[in-house]
Amino acid sequence: MRRARADHPAVPTGFPRVGEADGAPEGESPGATVGQDRAVPPTSSLHWATGFAARLRALLVAARPGWRGRALYALASLPLGALFLALYLGLIGSVVAVVYGVGVLLVLLVLAVTRSLAEMERRLARRLLGVDIPAGERVRDRRGVARRLRRLVFAADTWRALGWLGARVLLALATTTTLVFGLAAFVALGWEVEWNPLTALPLLALMALDVVLTLAVVDLLVRLSASVAPRLLGTAPEQRIAALQQSTRRLADRNRLARDLHDTIGHALTASLLQATAARRTLTPVGERPLQADFARQALGHIETNTRTALAELDRVLTVLRAEDGGRDPAPFAAPSLDDLEDLLAGLRDGGLPVALVVDGDVDDVPAGVQELAYRVVQEGTTNVLRHAGTPLTVAQVVRNGDTLVVRVCNEPPASQPDGRPGPGGGRGLAGLRERATAAGGTLTAERTPSGGFDLCVTLPLSGAA
Amino acid sequence: MTALRLLLVDDDVLVRSGLRVILESEPDLTVVGDAGSGREALAVAADTDPDVVLMDVRMPDMDGIAATAELVARDPQRPRVLVLTTFEDDDYLFRSLQAGASGFALERSDPDSLVGAIRVVARGTSLVLPDLTRRLIASHAPSRARGPAALPELTGREADVLRLVAGGLSNAEIATELFLSRETVKTHVSSVLLKLGARDRTQAVIAAYESGFMTG
Repeated sequence: MRRARADHPAVPTGFPRVGEADGAPEGESPGATVGQDRAVPPTSSLHWATGFAARLRALLVAARPGWRGRALYALASLPLGALFLALYLGLIGSVVAVVYGVGVLLVLLVLAVTRSLAEMERRLARRLLGVDIPAGERVRDRRGVARRLRRLVFAADTWRALGWLGARVLLALATTTTLVFGLAAFVALGWEVEWNPLTALPLLALMALDVVLTLAVVDLLVRLSASVAPRLLGTAPEQRIAALQQSTRRLADRNRLARDLHDTIGHALTASLLQATAARRTLTPVGERPLQADFARQALGHIETNTRTALAELDRVLTVLRAEDGGRDPAPFAAPSLDDLEDLLAGLRDGGLPVALVVDGDVDDVPAGVQELAYRVVQEGTTNVLRHAGTPLTVAQVVRNGDTLVVRVCNEPPASQPDGRPGPGGGRGLAGLRERATAAGGTLTAERTPSGGFDLCVTLPLSGAA
Repeated sequence: MTALRLLLVDDDVLVRSGLRVILESEPDLTVVGDAGSGREALAVAADTDPDVVLMDVRMPDMDGIAATAELVARDPQRPRVLVLTTFEDDDYLFRSLQAGASGFALERSDPDSLVGAIRVVARGTSLVLPDLTRRLIASHAPSRARGPAALPELTGREADVLRLVAGGLSNAEIATELFLSRETVKTHVSSVLLKLGARDRTQAVIAAYESGFMTG
């Protein structure tokens, strides 16, 4: 009720402004009475009017919190309606102009403007009407002009926004009509009719009725806008589903990342810690117990390997995070696609791995799930090269061959043979990858090449894939 | 006093060898076997009859949760299971407690705490890591009751004892708190365990939270 109370003092100054302009000569008009808000002289003829005004005021105060925003919204709808009408005419014009070629660009332009206007409308409705309208889908975040344009034209958002602007034109028309008729009636009552002491009271009542009716209808129209706006400006069901899917996927990615960290770095550190503790014990003389230098030496070797593996894993996880949090996508953990491969490999090149990417065939329509898996294959394969072979020449290949996608990472033999022993915990990533490939109906082979390099190859079916 | 017989279960041989060296250096502990998976653990446990099994949770070929459940199903009294974990807040951790583990220890804890945890589990007179355990159970146990509920089968004294058990107090501390003799406390705790159908304090605390007797 605080808002209603705050509105109260504003009622007299704001509400009868129309009346003041026209009915000012009548010093004791109901509007003025309300405006003074002080003890009314007990004139019997005005008694009823005062009661009526008081009741009206009570009604306004009780039922109209936020009326100021609605009044502004109604006023704003007049120029905006005209603007949107112009937009519609522009759209029609550009559709006609399609015949001459340039129209296509114009249509796209109009659609883009429509979306911007819809965003403005959203803000306006949020601010003035207090309606909660979630933001629409963002087209700008998509990469590639073609994708953006396709999205612009095919997004349900765009057309619903256009529908809303049309609705606004109609509502603005209705508002204008109402206001014009209301004003006309008011003027007619004030000037066209003979005023004398007998007719004054009924005429005043009629004028008040006219004002109230006009405002009521305008208010009704605004309320209609408020109830329709969320439907046309809010998120479409398909968008909500997409958002839900995205957040689910993000959560799954997060969980997978947490699991990865747990399995690899957590595990490697734990093993190192226990080895270190044990080594210290075997080197600490207690009573008769012999020192076990051999165990300690071995333990230190394990710690070394484990720590190296853990660092490689940390690097890998950070690469994932950086690649996925590149600021291009609103979702920091969104599934990566084949488009992201170049970024991934650029990072590896910075790390000293000479790696080339070869993409063959049309991979644009490869399902998102397969794209992500393919990305993971390249990621795992290349980081494994770094981990186990250092920085030999490496090629990552993605080949679309009809209904299959072949992803391959192979490297030349390393310049110097590093410790080939995979650290404990090493190879877990490959096992996980094999699981995922199998689940997607594909196969994974990982083998040493005759020349001493390594070849990781994953074949994924495209039909019936997730 | 005979040495406690321990079985080490972890899929990483480095963890096992490290633990073995650390634990064998304690005079009252002896490692009677180790296993790299849950399934292997069941076989080794049957052969070696350990007092306490130190169990990793995530392993290939039967994880620690399933292995714990199987061990408990075989014999609710022996061996006790102490779960080893890398992280404190782990859903697997709660599930392994639910499966019947008597407590958990952090793999990163210093050797003395680890050895202490093993002894506590073997004795069963208090909770291991009481605060962590209570927090874990409180945050994971699906409370079937809405508000604080009484466990009607408990006497007032037993309810007091259960509350303090859940608070992580040992028998000796409960005795001091309630001005009872240790023997009396022991009797009450046994009676509570019996009435709740719990094999040890950890299980009693889980039951206390799940019934809504304990909240928050």
